Amino acid sequence: MITPTSDNIKLFHEPKDVLRMTVADQYSVVQIEPRWAAPLSHPGQLLGLMNSKGEEVLLLPTVESLSAVNQEVIQRELDRRYLTSTVHKIVSAKVEFGATYWTVITERGQRDFVVQSLQENAQWLGERQLVFVDIDHNRFEVPDIDKLDPQSRKFIDSIL
Amino acid sequence: MKSKSINPSETEPSSTGALIRLVADLLESGDYGQRVLEVDAESVRVLEMNGALSATIPIADIHNARNEPVVGGGRLEVTTKKGEKLALISYTHTIAARFSEAARGIEQLAKGEELLINLKPQRTHCEKCKRLLPEVDGICPACVDRGKTLLRIARFMLPYKYWAITLATLAFLTTVLNLVPPILQGRLIDEVLQRHTNYPLLYQLIGVWVGIALTSSLINITRDRIVAKLAGSIAADLRATVYRAIEFLQLTYFDKKQVGAISSRVTTDTDRVWGFLVEGVPYFLLNGLMLVGVSAFLFWTNWFLALCILAPIPVIITIAVRFWKPMTQMFYKVGQKWARFYIHLNESLNGIRVVKAFAKEDSEFHKFTKRNVELQEAGVKADSRWFTIFGAMLFFSSLGTIICWLVGGAMVVRKELTLGEFYRIHAYLALIYGPIQWFAAVNNWFSRAMAGADRIFEIIDMEKEAYRLDDGVRHDIKGEVHFEDVRFGYDKSNPVLKDINFVAKPGEMIGLVGKSGAGKSTTINLIARFYEPDSGSIKIDGLDYREIELQHLRRQIGIVLQEPFLFNGTVAENIAYGKADATMEEIVEAARAANAHNFIMMKPDGYDQMVGERGAKLSGGERQRVSIARAILHDPRILILDEATSSVDVETEKQIQEAIGRLVAGRTTFAIAHRLSTLRNADRLIVLDRGKIVEVGTHEELMEKKGVFSKLVETQSEIQEIIGFDLGQAEAAK
Repeated sequence: MITPTSDNIKLFHEPKDVLRMTVADQYSVVQIEPRWAAPLSHPGQLLGLMNSKGEEVLLLPTVESLSAVNQEVIQRELDRRYLTSTVHKIVSAKVEFGATYWTVITERGQRDFVVQSLQENAQWLGERQLVFVDIDHNRFEVPDIDKLDPQSRKFIDSIL
Repeated sequence: MKSKSINPSETEPSSTGALIRLVADLLESGDYGQRVLEVDAESVRVLEMNGALSATIPIADIHNARNEPVVGGGRLEVTTKKGEKLALISYTHTIAARFSEAARGIEQLAKGEELLINLKPQRTHCEKCKRLLPEVDGICPACVDRGKTLLRIARFMLPYKYWAITLATLAFLTTVLNLVPPILQGRLIDEVLQRHTNYPLLYQLIGVWVGIALTSSLINITRDRIVAKLAGSIAADLRATVYRAIEFLQLTYFDKKQVGAISSRVTTDTDRVWGFLVEGVPYFLLNGLMLVGVSAFLFWTNWFLALCILAPIPVIITIAVRFWKPMTQMFYKVGQKWARFYIHLNESLNGIRVVKAFAKEDSEFHKFTKRNVELQEAGVKADSRWFTIFGAMLFFSSLGTIICWLVGGAMVVRKELTLGEFYRIHAYLALIYGPIQWFAAVNNWFSRAMAGADRIFEIIDMEKEAYRLDDGVRHDIKGEVHFEDVRFGYDKSNPVLKDINFVAKPGEMIGLVGKSGAGKSTTINLIARFYEPDSGSIKIDGLDYREIELQHLRRQIGIVLQEPFLFNGTVAENIAYGKADATMEEIVEAARAANAHNFIMMKPDGYDQMVGERGAKLSGGERQRVSIARAILHDPRILILDEATSSVDVETEKQIQEAIGRLVAGRTTFAIAHRLSTLRNADRLIVLDRGKIVEVGTHEELMEKKGVFSKLVETQSEIQEIIGFDLGQAEAAK
């Protein structure tokens, strides 16, 4: 059986919402799930294509190693599978009654959330990268605090 | 126009005649926004908020529906009878559990069954202040009466109310006595010093002064002794209350929290609360009285001078109010740093063997230093800010003294005031600014105590295990365990057990088999009622086990774990853990049955041998046999063996197997074993795969069937052969 590589695979949705992969037009893997190896610490690197049994079929160094058509298809699937929001701006943050209340603007729009036990639910991934996990386990990522506006940084600095 | 956050609670489903109507919080593009899922007996539909229909599937075409968990949320997927999979609608974690329930409902409708789901509307915002709630269906902390919190913590003083009243009385007496010396000093100045005569009055006044100093000192000593008693007692009561509350919390809480963070609630938070109760509350009233009383006295003596010297007070109050909130926030931040510090400290000390084995002392020290510096910086910043504010308040306090000298001095020169009166007013000034500074400082103290109280009450008010259900039945278990359509997930939107149905007869031994993650441990967690089914029921002797008093139920269930946990104490104490009144003979008998007696007797102190923290002074096999002896003495009707022999050598395993053989006799037993061959003695094996039962039968039946179990056995045999082959080669190479 031919080993899949970034050059010999073709990705497409068939049926409508099922990602399928054919390898060198020889055989098909019918249900593919893309999974980032380390989406927070190494975003955009090492994308695993897993079959329905949860076994890795192919590990891509980056999405860019795929053809433009495949990239578009995989991106669509990734957008569905990763609902973590990236924080662009912090509109307000306050500590009250042992919880922290946040209003943020993300790439998905504005959202309010509450974080309890900051020491557990504000996770530092390095010096400047931060992930908030709210009471419902939704995740809000700040990839680089230094890239936030001064007011947003001030909110983080005043609480964390 | 101000932009608006999109949160799921803002549009609750209204009744439209649909059987299910849920509002999702993500648009098809992935942006926050609202879409509606509507299900009726005919079809499943997705509608946009403007009413446009985005998708529709006839119920008759649906084979199954599920919530597909994705990172940060979920999506509702429907598989049609033609095998086509359709992703209908996406949502965040906030409402994933409700969509999971909707998926179940869609499946019920597709199978032509009655719709039996629970879609109770969630309350995520406070009705009163519209604030986002810290917990779904929880209490709004902003609308909770602060006075009530204060009253609630004050209740901890109730058992010691007479001591507290005595303390307040003594403190009041001290204050009254403190008012006397300035009067004496004033008289001394006016009637003795300025007149250069009147020795008898001098000795008389000094005599009174000595008497007051002596009485005052005695009162202070008594007061401090009462403070020590009250502090110790209330601190112990608070710690006991919080610890007791933690003990009864549901296991889901422990799954989410780190031990260090939980410990800090028993230590740091309780310290803050009792500190405020004992040293804060009694003085609150007292200093208030002092402030009013002395002010009145000053105005009575000379209203103009009183007005002048009290002029800086509004400034001091303004500073205190202005900086209260930022200071609270800064101290909260320090609290966060402390918690992070504790977590790392606990973790690195617990894992000290691993740290040493990997020679990671330097990197652990680096992490420690980082946390330590963070803590130092936050502490320095908060304290610096606090001392700056406090310094400013002190300055304005000292302005009062300067004004007193300026205005009062001029009045003395103009003979509008005697020197004695001036001195008395000057002395009272300290008595008025003292309480004001106390009130300024108490803001911060009060905030810290309230934050601590909030965290304590969060635990106390949290939903507990229904441990002492008032109407719980005390049922003596015979041993039949019946799983009926059981469905369960640690995350409600992602069930790990689905449609589990089986009956274990009294005295039967059931082996639970399956790959890692198949749901074996979850099944035994449900049997022990560490968690309860999300739907369906577990019946013991035909009785829903939720109706049985939990403590009574657990007393009749025994568990032997892969990594047995022993408490720091003697071997005998650990064996008798489940039966505190066991005699020494019973303990020895249980140890014999567990093949533990001989090794215990070989220990220097025999059954009095200390096992160390977590039983660290015993070997793995010894710990396991002690835990089996503990289970034997506990004499449970239902026994759970979770990989009880997987971490020991072959000889020890043989001994443990013998012991288990004695233990299981006559009890309903559920066993999970890594080595499938050890389950040969089981009456029946239940094979689980991805949360569902796929095979049931005896070892022989399942081997003959050549299904999932047979494949698992084959795979394991192959692996053992490979390991055996590798070991053989390694031996040969030697």
